[in-house]
Amino acid sequence: MTTPVLEIRNLHARIEEREILKGVNLVIPQGEVHAIMGRNGSGKSTLSYVLAGKEDYEVTEGEILLNGENILEMEPHERAAAGLFLAFQYPIEIPGVATMTFLKAAINAQRKARGEGELTTPEFMRAVKEAGAQLNVDSDMLKRPLNVGFSGGEKKRAEIMQMALLKPSLAVLDETDSGLDIDALQVVSKGVNALRDGKRSMLVITHYQRLLNHIVPDVVHVFSDGRIVESGDKDLALQLEAKGYADYDGQAA
Amino acid sequence: MRQTFPVRLGAAEESLIAQLKAAGADQAAERVTVAGLPTRRVEAYHYTDLKTLLRAIPPLAQAANEASGTALRVPGAYALSIVNGAVLNAATAPEGVKVGKTHGGVLTNRDDVIVSVSNALATETLSLDLKGAIEQVVQIDHRIEGEAGHVADATKIFVADDSSVVVLETFSGSDAAHVGNHATYLALGKNAVVTHVTIDLSGRATSHFATNEYHLADGAQLRTLVIHAGAGLARTHLFPKMEGEGAHADVTGLNLVSDGQHSDITMETQHAVPYTSSQPLFKSITRGRSKSVVQGKLIVARDAQKTDAKFMHQGLMLSDEAEILSKPELEIYADDVVCGHGSTCGKLDEDSLFYLLSRGIPKAEAETILVRGFIAELIDPIEDEALNEALQGIVDGWLLGN
Ligand SMILES: Nc1ncnc2c1ncn2[C@@H]1O[C@H](COP(=O)(O)OP(=O)(O)O)[C@@H](O)[C@H]1O
Ligand SMILES: [Mg+2]
Repeated sequence: MTTPVLEIRNLHARIEEREILKGVNLVIPQGEVHAIMGRNGSGKSTLSYVLAGKEDYEVTEGEILLNGENILEMEPHERAAAGLFLAFQYPIEIPGVATMTFLKAAINAQRKARGEGELTTPEFMRAVKEAGAQLNVDSDMLKRPLNVGFSGGEKKRAEIMQMALLKPSLAVLDETDSGLDIDALQVVSKGVNALRDGKRSMLVITHYQRLLNHIVPDVVHVFSDGRIVESGDKDLALQLEAKGYADYDGQAA
Repeated sequence: MRQTFPVRLGAAEESLIAQLKAAGADQAAERVTVAGLPTRRVEAYHYTDLKTLLRAIPPLAQAANEASGTALRVPGAYALSIVNGAVLNAATAPEGVKVGKTHGGVLTNRDDVIVSVSNALATETLSLDLKGAIEQVVQIDHRIEGEAGHVADATKIFVADDSSVVVLETFSGSDAAHVGNHATYLALGKNAVVTHVTIDLSGRATSHFATNEYHLADGAQLRTLVIHAGAGLARTHLFPKMEGEGAHADVTGLNLVSDGQHSDITMETQHAVPYTSSQPLFKSITRGRSKSVVQGKLIVARDAQKTDAKFMHQGLMLSDEAEILSKPELEIYADDVVCGHGSTCGKLDEDSLFYLLSRGIPKAEAETILVRGFIAELIDPIEDEALNEALQGIVDGWLLGN
């Protein structure tokens, strides 16, 4: 059996003395798309931040293996170079930093970390143009400072475009559907689906079932109070939509 | 009310008085004798107490035997040099640039020791008459060379109506305890468009003082950018005066201060007539135990209705020990104006940093990107590509610890 792209073992994490993740176990084999559903405040974003290595969180127990390698000791930028990508629930606006400058810095930093040469400017421009075309990210958006003044939909499209450029082996999408109207949702989903190539794995976090009609998951996990309480196929999402999360309350305690 | 009891004079004041007397500037000498160098009790020097900060005034600098060459080469620029106060002959001036030499000070007299010393001691004055659309950056490269010396140099620039030019002044020299007192008088004719960039790249031992006085006629558009990135003690005093309807000034500046440095930009903008505007925007970036001071005063005359002016100062602290001091002042005599001020101060934003890291950008590079982003508003409007790049280079060099 090939090594899973992601393996989380008994992960506990806290922020400011408060335990948020309380024993997460999750295995995502190569090429699979897993969805995590859970109500607001259950710790989904926390899981995504802990995966990406945000400093504010303290991991007190457990392991995270990315392609078989423990990443807990790695810096966030090393995790990115190792193949992890997080599409933020709230992408950060950074005034004064040109989107193109940022994209180039990111691509070349990752290439360098992997011992690959930097992209030439024409190669870079071509890559950006291709990725942008798929996600309706036009040159006007690329000329603006990073995420500044982007609408909710533009921000999410820009995130997926970054993912297309950075070609991660594991993409974590945190509520990529939030703030999107139906049209934007379709563009984003199409962009995400185009990146499903049988090898790349994804963890799609959402609290609405709606997104999963567009990005059809292989496995659905229910997240409650800091851990996965049930797993099933895509029908589980439909059941959740019908019944809500109430059944799971208290179960995790 | 002026205090009448005599102040105790220190070594710096004694030397200064002797130099002023020798130059025949009895009035200026008398003023220093009575008042001494300004202390924190003098409003304009509240955060930059010269009596404490300026312990010695070196002898007046002699003509330099050797010059180190410009500290900032900008490809394509037409460069003139002023070394130890002497204006050096330069290459043939481009069309529209007339270079001359005169004598004496260039600043309007006011109750300010730096101004009166400049007017008293400046001997050779560089004069520039600029006309037409001048494509080449005109660089005035000020240097103080050799042993520690006191230099007062002066430049008078006239930009004709409907003309445009970018003037760059750079300050550098040997790393000795120089005191530089540099004056620039810049008059903008009707609808003239001028960018004036001044950059201090002096050695750490140097004390750098500059006074820039601007006069803007109808429709004139001025952009200034002061960068302090060298001297241990640096103070630039800006006096823009909006004298014609439709005049506008973007008065900007940047203090880059490292451990042990003290940099001060003090601005006093006068809106003298109706329908003028100014947008003063200053930034401070500090690290180590250092101090950055930005003071901005907007004076709006009684009939200067419809004045639109906002002073802004933003500080970025890269260390906990640094101090960033901000003092806005509004002195408004007209009633139909839009004036304001604001200031902010903070560290690099953690969330922004994490966002960049999460994309694979290592920490040092991510910080550089964010700092560059912080000052982009100041550097981006400098359209000359070579100059823009040179400015970026100064900032990057500073970040690397140079
Ligand atoms: N910086 C923080 N300090 C303290 N508690 C936090 C912080 N960030 C998130 N939390 C708490 O952690 C819990 C999980 O939040 P989050 O992971 O954002 O949930 P979700 O993404 O599932 O809505 C919430 O109760 C939230 O209030
Ligand atoms: Mg969330």
